[in-house]
Amino acid sequence: MLQINNLHVALEDEDKQILKGVTLTVPAGQVHAIMGPNGSGKSTLSYVLSGRDGYEVTEGQATLEGHDLLEMEPEERAAAGLFLAFQYPVEIPGVGNMTFLRTAVNAQRKARGEDELSAGEFLKLVRERAKALDIDAEMLKRPVNVGFSGGEKKRNEILQMAMLEPRMCILDETDSGLDVDAMRLVAQGVNALRAPDRSFLVITHYQRLLDHIVPDVVHIMNDGRIVKSGGPELALEVEQNGYADILAEVADA
Amino acid sequence: MTVQDAPEIEVREGVDRETVETVASMGSYKYGWDTEIEMEYAPKGLNEDIVRLISQKNEEPEWMTEWRLAAFRRWQTMTEPSWAMLNYPEIDFQDQYYYARPKSMAVRPKSLDEVDPKLLATYEKLGIPLREQEILAGVEGADAAPADVRRVAVDAVFDSVSVGTTFQDELAKAGVIFCPISEAIRKHPELVKKYLGSVVPQSDNYYATLNSAVFSDGSFVYVPPGVRCPMELSTYFRINAENTGQFERTLIIADKGSYVSYLEGCTAPKRDTAQLHAAVVEIVILEDAEVKYSTVQNWFPGDEEGRGGIYNFVTKRADCREPRAKVMWTQVETGSAITWKYPSCILRGEESQGEFYSIAITNNMQQADTGTKMIHLGKNTRSRIVSKGISAGQAQNTYRGLVSMHPRATDSRNYTQCDSLLIGDRCGAHTVPYIEVKNSSSRVEHEATTSKVDEDQLFYCRARGMDEEEAVALVVNGFCRDVLQALPMEFAMEAQALVAISLEGSVG
Amino acid sequence: MPEAATIQTPAVEGAPRLSPAAQQLQARLAATPPPHARATDAARTDALDRLSAQGLPGPRDEYWRYTDPAPFNTQAPDPIALDAASGDPTLFAGVDKLRLVFVDGRFDAAASDELSLAGVEIAPLSQADAQPDHWVGDAYGALEKQGQSPAARPFAALNTAIATDGAVIRVTGRAARPVQILYRRSDPAADVTIHHVLRLEAGADLTLLENGLVGARGNIVIEADLAPGAQLHHVAAHRAGVPRVSNIHLFGRVAEGASLKSFALSVDGRHLRTESVIELLGDDAVAHVACAMLGDGTSVHQDDTVFITHTGLRGESRQVFKKVLKNGATGVFQGKILVRPGAQKTDGYQISQALLLDENSQFLAKPELEIYADDVKCSHGSTTGALDETALFYLRSRGVPRERAVVLLVLSFLADALEEVEDEALRAEIADRLEEWLTARAKG
Repeated sequence: MLQINNLHVALEDEDKQILKGVTLTVPAGQVHAIMGPNGSGKSTLSYVLSGRDGYEVTEGQATLEGHDLLEMEPEERAAAGLFLAFQYPVEIPGVGNMTFLRTAVNAQRKARGEDELSAGEFLKLVRERAKALDIDAEMLKRPVNVGFSGGEKKRNEILQMAMLEPRMCILDETDSGLDVDAMRLVAQGVNALRAPDRSFLVITHYQRLLDHIVPDVVHIMNDGRIVKSGGPELALEVEQNGYADILAEVADA
Repeated sequence: MTVQDAPEIEVREGVDRETVETVASMGSYKYGWDTEIEMEYAPKGLNEDIVRLISQKNEEPEWMTEWRLAAFRRWQTMTEPSWAMLNYPEIDFQDQYYYARPKSMAVRPKSLDEVDPKLLATYEKLGIPLREQEILAGVEGADAAPADVRRVAVDAVFDSVSVGTTFQDELAKAGVIFCPISEAIRKHPELVKKYLGSVVPQSDNYYATLNSAVFSDGSFVYVPPGVRCPMELSTYFRINAENTGQFERTLIIADKGSYVSYLEGCTAPKRDTAQLHAAVVEIVILEDAEVKYSTVQNWFPGDEEGRGGIYNFVTKRADCREPRAKVMWTQVETGSAITWKYPSCILRGEESQGEFYSIAITNNMQQADTGTKMIHLGKNTRSRIVSKGISAGQAQNTYRGLVSMHPRATDSRNYTQCDSLLIGDRCGAHTVPYIEVKNSSSRVEHEATTSKVDEDQLFYCRARGMDEEEAVALVVNGFCRDVLQALPMEFAMEAQALVAISLEGSVG
Repeated sequence: MPEAATIQTPAVEGAPRLSPAAQQLQARLAATPPPHARATDAARTDALDRLSAQGLPGPRDEYWRYTDPAPFNTQAPDPIALDAASGDPTLFAGVDKLRLVFVDGRFDAAASDELSLAGVEIAPLSQADAQPDHWVGDAYGALEKQGQSPAARPFAALNTAIATDGAVIRVTGRAARPVQILYRRSDPAADVTIHHVLRLEAGADLTLLENGLVGARGNIVIEADLAPGAQLHHVAAHRAGVPRVSNIHLFGRVAEGASLKSFALSVDGRHLRTESVIELLGDDAVAHVACAMLGDGTSVHQDDTVFITHTGLRGESRQVFKKVLKNGATGVFQGKILVRPGAQKTDGYQISQALLLDENSQFLAKPELEIYADDVKCSHGSTTGALDETALFYLRSRGVPRERAVVLLVLSFLADALEEVEDEALRAEIADRLEEWLTARAKG
């Protein structure tokens, strides 16, 4: 599904290298987690994959189902099936959540050569998927993320994911700022979307989210590189011993 | 600051205990006494002969005399500006003395030891240390051992002349020149010629042009490349003589990579007639250099009926001439009957930064029209304006500012916060910002609010035993916190005390 | 020393200086006395005297710091071809209303609806004027005259002196339908001076719609006098897409408990200045003034100048101005809240924001507060900047193409101004129209 090969990325404004050769393959249907200390480059990876400005790829490739991601505009990546759940979802006053969702869904359908959803079809679909995430009609009416609580914002991200039905989902610190109940709700939403033809890359600082979204593979990232990969037990190791031990171990090796 | 028997008072966050204590311990305008001293004056009025006389008294070279005369001729063609929200009787520029100096200063003292003890006593009484000893500046009656001992070099200007400058030798070791500008004109003509009038040109405005013609003294600072000035520099301005205008000129040059913090204080005796003060401050900041300029302006504000007081027309401007130059203006304006003052920043160098922090307090019949100009010319320049205006009595307080983003000043930022507080229903608070944005990659944000003193806060303070004036002083200090924090510590405490004193009689 | 580093704000010189254009107008008026006595004669003479005394603004006039007054004062405007904006605008077409049509600034009875509406008296100014004892004689020019201080508005005085026609509307109850003033043209060079007088009696309620293209150049004055409890909703949309030159003044006087709300949609045009001069005279009075503006192209210069005076207690005023500028357009905002001594418990709010979509556009603002009462809550904010890149990325990451994302974000930016249109259907119609325009322009 997603293939990242020797990816080097620098900040455009200041001559600072953030990613120093990330190589990673996420096969279809799998959930991979990336963990790492603050400043290790986790969020940069998610931004570069989804096409945010301000980063310069100096070396390496990233492909989604064989298509070169790095050549595409952000909306083309979305249409190709890539979805980033933001760590800090953006507030857009004056634009209704429904309008936003419908614009996005139909823009992607159009880009893929599919018919746009009619107002009726769309409404039915939203209501159904919103209900599963405990998002009420009121939240759908309000402007995008404006006045939403932290939990509501993250649930709204998952609703967008459910509506857009991407192939490759990247969750950037989706657990940050959530209490246990909110996290469970979000995790349920994500788990419901797990499918053989859909992959996930879950970026997180803590292990706790991975109790709810159980990964197939866990990668540890440090200083712009994947330094260790393993099964779910690797996350538990981090939880118990912290990053320092693992990093020391890697350094020794 | 130590005060005996400090009352047990609950002090709210953001307001220092000192304020409360100071209110109890200090009277109203306490610098209103005068020094009886023999003076010599230039004849009253203004003409080319007076300009020549001032130049001659300062033993200036010919080029300087000519520079002054050119300014004077220009000034004669100009008219006094009337756009500020200030009402005052027409100033008779011929009914002023333009030069007054203590007779004892006729022969220039070689060192402070030779200065008339009466003059030294004047500064001592004002709390300004003219002895080169370790002091805690700005704090009087510091009888306990000061916790943080810092040294401040002082240039003391008395009416038209500088009476002495401390720590000159020690500063010279670091390569820093700190001396009266009259001395700089004689001893460092190459620097003066190069920079004088380069930030505030002779023709800049009516008062600056007048100053260019008749300035008598002021301070000169040059910090060489890479030097961090080893101590804070300060100038203390005292107007003593009657019917005498003070026209000082300050020139500060921070060469590449240098740093200096400069403090300025001002007081004058209580007089029934208004007195004129028209100063010019020019600051040149080169690559990677930084200048902090702090003012506590406490000229005599006039009495409750608006008699007397200083008419304060000041042009202050910093030119961040090269990349990454940085300037920070901080002012606490509590005195003067009329204040007309806009310390400004020209952000010419790329990534240069300008900041302006201001507290302006007007009480009784005082009027202030003050603010800043941030002229963004270079790319990636940053500026910040925080202005706190407080109006009480029948006073009028206006913030006037300009933020200009030129087409070339791409990716620049300005943030302006401009708050006004009204105490009583007979005063006025006004905000007149000009915002001119001529490129789209820059971001400009301006916020302004006007409100009265918060009744809940006042009640809370009074419920804890403070009287109304104490409570107001406390709340106002909280309102000014952002600016007070920008001041050097020595000045911050003096400023807090001043806030309290300036508002005396504003309630009830 | 760069010129911009000096705040030079010279006072208006007192000496009368009448431009050649005004002198010519004066001469023309003197040469052709009206055929019969008019109700407004005294007001017109007074306005002309005032104009002669104050003169027309010069380029150094502080109140005209950011806008050149000259185009409002040239001999004749540049013609705008009739096919440039042929046909009536479709905006408000679907609204059930009473329509007044003015062609080249003259009332067209045949094209207008029958002037009969319960609770409303309507007459064209040209007809009301012919009745020497018509109430309009007292009202005409009264608020305009009051609005000349403290800042002079010479083009409004000129309008009062020479206006050819207008709508004279007195509302005594709740108007059953909105009244629409629709402007049409038959002359490409039409230079129109038109003056509307509104009087809303106690408790009256009127929605006034105003759209179409008044002429190649338009000088429009609206005087709105609101008695206690009256409510006026004014929604204006002057014709988009033509290089019109217009100077519009809205003078309002709001009595106790009355409410004046005015919204304008302003798209392109060449040289535009709209001045709103409103006094909250009675206690608990309300005034809202809002504008959503889109400017595309170097020739577009659009100035909103607002002066709100709080005189009564507990007044509430809001100014919401949003400008979207691209390809070298210039937006100007001068807004002032004046709180008079004694106007306690005033709540004054003002926001002016510009979105600059490219490097060449500019926004010039002077948001002022002048406050002489202490128990008030007044604030203003002003921001200028480019599109929020993070929001743009967010939308694009959801698959929304860049062009469409920009349209959505511009609409988001304008939303606060649109909110000031109370009627939901009208608001939706204006939003749709904005979206259409933005979408069309995004492609171009």
